[in-house]
Amino acid sequence: MTMDAQRGRSGPAATRRPKEVWPAASGALRSVWRERARVAGESIAYVGQRWPTTVVVWLLIGAALALPAALYMVETNLSRAAGEWQGRPGFTVYFEPGLDASVSSGLATRLRAEPHVGDVRLITPEQALAELRGQTALRDAVEIFDGLEHNPLPVTIRATLVLGRSPDRLQEIAESAGLIPGVAEVVIEKTWLERLAAIRDVTRRIGVIVAALLGVSAVLISAASVRLAIAARLAEREVLALVGADARFIRRPFLYLGVLYGIGGAVVAAALLAAALMALEAPLARLFSSYGADLHLSGFDPMFLGVLLGCGAVLGALGARLAAAQSDRPP
Amino acid sequence: MPGIEFSHVVMRYDNGTEALRDVSVVIPEGSMVFLSGHSGAGKSTFLRLVLRLESLTRGRILINDVDISRLARRHIPAYRRHLGVVFQDHQLLPMRSVYDNVALPLRVARMREREIGRRVRAALSTVELLDKDRVLPGALSAGERQRVGIARAVVNRPKVLLADEPTGNLDPALSRNVMSLFRIFRSLGATVIVASHDTALISGMGERVVELADGRLVGDSAA
Ligand SMILES: Nc1ncnc2c1ncn2[C@@H]1O[C@H](COP(=O)(O)OP(=O)(O)OP(=O)(O)O)[C@@H](O)[C@H]1O
Ligand SMILES: [Mg+2]
Repeated sequence: MTMDAQRGRSGPAATRRPKEVWPAASGALRSVWRERARVAGESIAYVGQRWPTTVVVWLLIGAALALPAALYMVETNLSRAAGEWQGRPGFTVYFEPGLDASVSSGLATRLRAEPHVGDVRLITPEQALAELRGQTALRDAVEIFDGLEHNPLPVTIRATLVLGRSPDRLQEIAESAGLIPGVAEVVIEKTWLERLAAIRDVTRRIGVIVAALLGVSAVLISAASVRLAIAARLAEREVLALVGADARFIRRPFLYLGVLYGIGGAVVAAALLAAALMALEAPLARLFSSYGADLHLSGFDPMFLGVLLGCGAVLGALGARLAAAQSDRPP
Repeated sequence: MPGIEFSHVVMRYDNGTEALRDVSVVIPEGSMVFLSGHSGAGKSTFLRLVLRLESLTRGRILINDVDISRLARRHIPAYRRHLGVVFQDHQLLPMRSVYDNVALPLRVARMREREIGRRVRAALSTVELLDKDRVLPGALSAGERQRVGIARAVVNRPKVLLADEPTGNLDPALSRNVMSLFRIFRSLGATVIVASHDTALISGMGERVVELADGRLVGDSAA
């Protein structure tokens, strides 16, 4: 007769739940934190003892983080510039010369009634000529008009979009104005604002793609480096497993190592970015002033640095987690 | 009768080696057993199965009436915290002091620091290493490292104490000390299993001896 038959035990239902073998020990918070501090100290020591490797890992992760961070900076600065610049999109309607004034004033009235249109200015040929005379650069050209009998300039209406409204509607209004008899031409002005918006949109999209790709590479770099550390300390893992350490306890040193790699990479990225900003500031300032704008680069602030360090830490930890998961699986 | 019960245990390693072939044995709670046998007989495999370092191929192993071969992976750490282990290669963490190595099972079990201190000092004084508590393992002799391993195995007052060649690096006097330490644990209610081929030492102890040969149970002094 087997032991099983003796006790009438025949299957899993009859065996007790493993948890009930012995009661679990109660937790002690201070002991837990001391253990974490001890492990953190060991991870820092590990990184310090292998500093040539560490520096290479930091540079690799730093390079991966620097580009998305730089694109983020470009995007913020373009956004800010777009908010500051006053140029608004609009269009100008040019009428055929010698047209009855009621046609142009009628269109002006209609445009003023449009909710999307803000400023509407009707410019008579006389006003236009006076305006031209006011621009010193064009003085010589205006002298040609003085020799003519009639003022050759047409009546024009300049209409601008209400800030914040969609330029699409402006396009429609401009096109319908072009259909009115007596209108010679409608010119829609693509302004800086629109171009900036387009550039911003492109940078943002590129930024997301680049951040995703390079974020993944940062994780993989961290994972590869942590895997080396795990391989170097396999015996220790066995010891810990033997005394009843759970997976979290065993992984903790490697997790901290990944976080250290990630934070170090973020610091390198911040340094690279600071260097790039210093090198670019003077030429960028010259470029901006040629467009009549002042350059104030912004975005490199404590908040940005905090987020950068946080991203580094999270990506490094993800890499460590990946490495730990891979090493848990038997080869 | 709780304790450790092997019933028809077969253990085949991945490469096909049958380390244990149909081993059935009952080790009552609070008793002490020597596992003897030649090199390769399956002694270490027996202990590794109890530790769930290996999974058996057939049969079952009951510890306190719980079938540990069915133990879910996530429950294994908690289960091991109730075992004490001294291994042939008495592995210690090289970056941690003697004190911290011995404290490891208690820290893993999240015991309070003050209690940890008490127990670690008690364990270290039993193996006569209290004065080396701040030393790193690398600076110890082989015998001293083995004693640190023994202190670590007993520090959490395990219900089951497993020892694989615990006296391999010790002189005869120290070996007898270690054995009497194991006996003290047995008298405190622990189940003690010691694998050893030191027949002189085993026979001098007058304890139950289970003999393995080529993976089979060939002798049991209690039978
Ligand atoms: N990981 C393994 N993979 C394959 N075979 C193994 C493994 N470990 C042990 N064996 C084999 O299993 C058999 C039993 O080994 P075990 O280590 O249990 O013997 P032992 O009695 O402890 O010997 P020793 O006294 O030398 O320590 C041996 O034939 C050994 O070669
Ligand atoms: Mg062995």
